[in-house]
Amino acid sequence: MADRAPSRRDLLKIAGSAAAAAASAGAASAESGASVVQQRARTRPRPAREPLKALTAHEADLLDRIAELLIPSDEHGPGATEAMAVRYLDRALAGALAAQREAYTVGLAALERYAKQTRGAAFLLLTESKQISLLIDVESGTATGANVGFAGSSAQFFALVRGHVWQGTFGDPIYGGNAQFVGWDLVGYPGVRTVVTPAEQRLLSPATVVRTSAYDNPMFNKAIADVKPAGSDRDAD
Amino acid sequence: MNATHLLSILALAAAAAVLPSSTSAQPAPTALTVTSPTVTAGQPIPTQHSADGENTSPAFAWTGAPATVKSFALICDDPDVPMPQPFVHWVIYNIPGAAKGLPANIPIDPAAAMPAEIAGAVQGPSGFRRPIYRGPAPPPGKVHNYHFTVYALDVANLPAGLNKAQLVEAMAGHVVGQGELVATYERKPPPPQR
Repeated sequence: MADRAPSRRDLLKIAGSAAAAAASAGAASAESGASVVQQRARTRPRPAREPLKALTAHEADLLDRIAELLIPSDEHGPGATEAMAVRYLDRALAGALAAQREAYTVGLAALERYAKQTRGAAFLLLTESKQISLLIDVESGTATGANVGFAGSSAQFFALVRGHVWQGTFGDPIYGGNAQFVGWDLVGYPGVRTVVTPAEQRLLSPATVVRTSAYDNPMFNKAIADVKPAGSDRDAD
Repeated sequence: MNATHLLSILALAAAAAVLPSSTSAQPAPTALTVTSPTVTAGQPIPTQHSADGENTSPAFAWTGAPATVKSFALICDDPDVPMPQPFVHWVIYNIPGAAKGLPANIPIDPAAAMPAEIAGAVQGPSGFRRPIYRGPAPPPGKVHNYHFTVYALDVANLPAGLNKAQLVEAMAGHVVGQGELVATYERKPPPPQR
């Protein structure tokens, strides 16, 4: 199969946006140490952040930016930011993924050291092009040898984050991500359906789009009656 | 058939026997001189061009290309890896024949326009599976040699998206000039854990 052409939604889109670079430069002068990402000039308002359960504010800022680069908001629609993928991740690290919390502490600290050591500034203060270049090095594992403290290969950490951003963007909204079902809309997933009509099975009619959580369905609620979904902010009733 | 005719036929046959080899055998490529403002032959590659720095591509200049050149290609690879084939760090080609070199910091965005002086140049996938420059990042403890090889070609345009092996195949029979700059890089082992 021929390789498809790169697109903005390829892993680590490479935009090299002058506007983003200018925004980063502006952020550099405005940084107060609180929440750099939220201070950055953006063309699209960022959803308000809820109180964090596991991550520090700086870790959430870093992950927000990485998620934004992995699944950007672009001509195809909203991305990981609007899906609130990091809200999912924060809740998960406080719950079902608590065992991986340390990997984030170590990995994000190493990423920051790598940014300062190789690009001369904290990750969030780099231009978009430099952020992408840096993440390519982390993804490929070549950041490992810089002795900045990645546990194992930097590629392992990158894969961990990428997988969780995917989950937070495309998973069931009950876990805190895929807000407003933007992830499902993005990939054209019709949603969790308990009935598929004969016409739909024969692809004679478009699939009925269902925009409810699987756990809004009594069948699924019954199955998890005694198990509150990981990261869920509500009871499975 | 008289003796004259016979000699003529023999001469033609001899010429026909010689012709294929004389037309398919390519003259030895002209030697190019490859230099860089930041990379020195036999010396360590500056950190800025490695994964321990910003990982930007170096600038290069070349001289000695024959008049028949229509484009240039550059391949960077590392034969000192513990693999059967050298590890490829960079593939860039369709560099205009009028170019005297490459500017530094070639864009990592495949959609970004190339600098004006090398307009039309394209990058192919490297060993990192991306069509961009990624510099040295060797395992620690051993000096690696990085070969920046420049090819002068008598063709102007090769298909986009070629990796090193595909580019070498596409260049076969079209190399009219060649030169290289070999520099080194070494990563130190991590400090011992307490």
